[in-house]
Amino acid sequence: MSELSDTSNDRESRWRALMASAQDGDHAAYRELLSDLFPVLRRFVLRKWPNAHDTEDVVQEILVSIHTVRQTYDRRRPFTPWLMTIAARRVADAARSRYARGANETTVDILPETFDGDGAKSEQETRDDREALRRAMAILPAGQRQAIELIKIQGLSLDEASQVTGKSIGSLKVGIHRAIKAMRQALERNG
Amino acid sequence: MARRMLNQDLIEALTDNCAPIRPLPHPAWRALVWFAVSLCYVAIVVAAMGVRPDFVAKISDPQFATELAAAFLTSVVAAAGAFSAGCPARPAWERFAAGFFLLIWMGAFAVGCWRDVDAYGVSGLLSHSDIYCLPTILAISIPAAALILSMVKRGAPIAPFVTIGLAALASTALAEAALRLSFRQDPAVSVCIWQFGSVVLLTGIASLFGRALLHWTRRDALIASFQAHRR
Repeated sequence: MSELSDTSNDRESRWRALMASAQDGDHAAYRELLSDLFPVLRRFVLRKWPNAHDTEDVVQEILVSIHTVRQTYDRRRPFTPWLMTIAARRVADAARSRYARGANETTVDILPETFDGDGAKSEQETRDDREALRRAMAILPAGQRQAIELIKIQGLSLDEASQVTGKSIGSLKVGIHRAIKAMRQALERNG
Repeated sequence: MARRMLNQDLIEALTDNCAPIRPLPHPAWRALVWFAVSLCYVAIVVAAMGVRPDFVAKISDPQFATELAAAFLTSVVAAAGAFSAGCPARPAWERFAAGFFLLIWMGAFAVGCWRDVDAYGVSGLLSHSDIYCLPTILAISIPAAALILSMVKRGAPIAPFVTIGLAALASTALAEAALRLSFRQDPAVSVCIWQFGSVVLLTGIASLFGRALLHWTRRDALIASFQAHRR
């Protein structure tokens, strides 16, 4: 028991020191800390949410949250409660958004055949589609292309894309609309 | 949703973007900074609107002095609570400490109502309509609210509803105090309904926007911002 508590105290002291160094910009300490935390967080997520389908995604989101709020860690206070508060909140958020998404989804046994999906096409057709889309995107102005990349390809929300680009949501919507129109015309022109 | 990253790739991306950062100061210290700046602004507002002519006489009234002090203390302690709520694993009592001063504030209104009943009978509890208190408190509180919002956004969105609710309480309580220093509206029941009621209503409405105003940065957005900065 005492040995366990010593190990836990050692780990706590180590993490506190690593986090303090990371706040000072020490890359090696930060890499070591994040690598240390990964398995601990994975176990935590599995314990809190045993049926999670995407444990790795949840753990990655927790690491990102730790990164974005690392300025809130007070070096005079213990590290583990700070870490676990963030982890517990992010697991709860992930579970809530999963259930919210699940409420709007319908499970079907056999997916209807679609000619839009890559699975219904030959490899050559898939390659041709991608190439045509790449060419259509290449003619877009830089701002419109960035909007398409962030929102339609990387799947960011308008709010997130706005934070990344510094553009307003309205301007991003207009950019997407014009880009899709220009790409449609380019695809029609090229047959 | 973007393609899943390898765990090691994510760790490398976060490490590469680990710039030195200054840890946030203690919530109480941040609350004092916010309060000092906001108090300067409120002083300008009160000077512009004009201090009530009977201020010297009123401030020697223990009920008025308690009410005013409770409004200011609720404001600064609620601000400290909002900053504390943005720091993971801080003691929970810090978030709710403003409730103590809120109770004292309500107690001062209760004493005022009792005194009015004593002086004028039941008619002392009749309130005239003063709907303009709501937009006035809202307008006065906006700059202080904008400042505290920019400060709480530096914290973690652990409890967004509580954080925004406390930030709104801090701003509107300060605006209510400014109103008390400028306008002669003394029937306790009127002050309680129209001024204190506006504070409670605005705090409640603001807290509903907690999740819209404070949210976590998602992995895909963060990685995209790293890539955008690199370009």
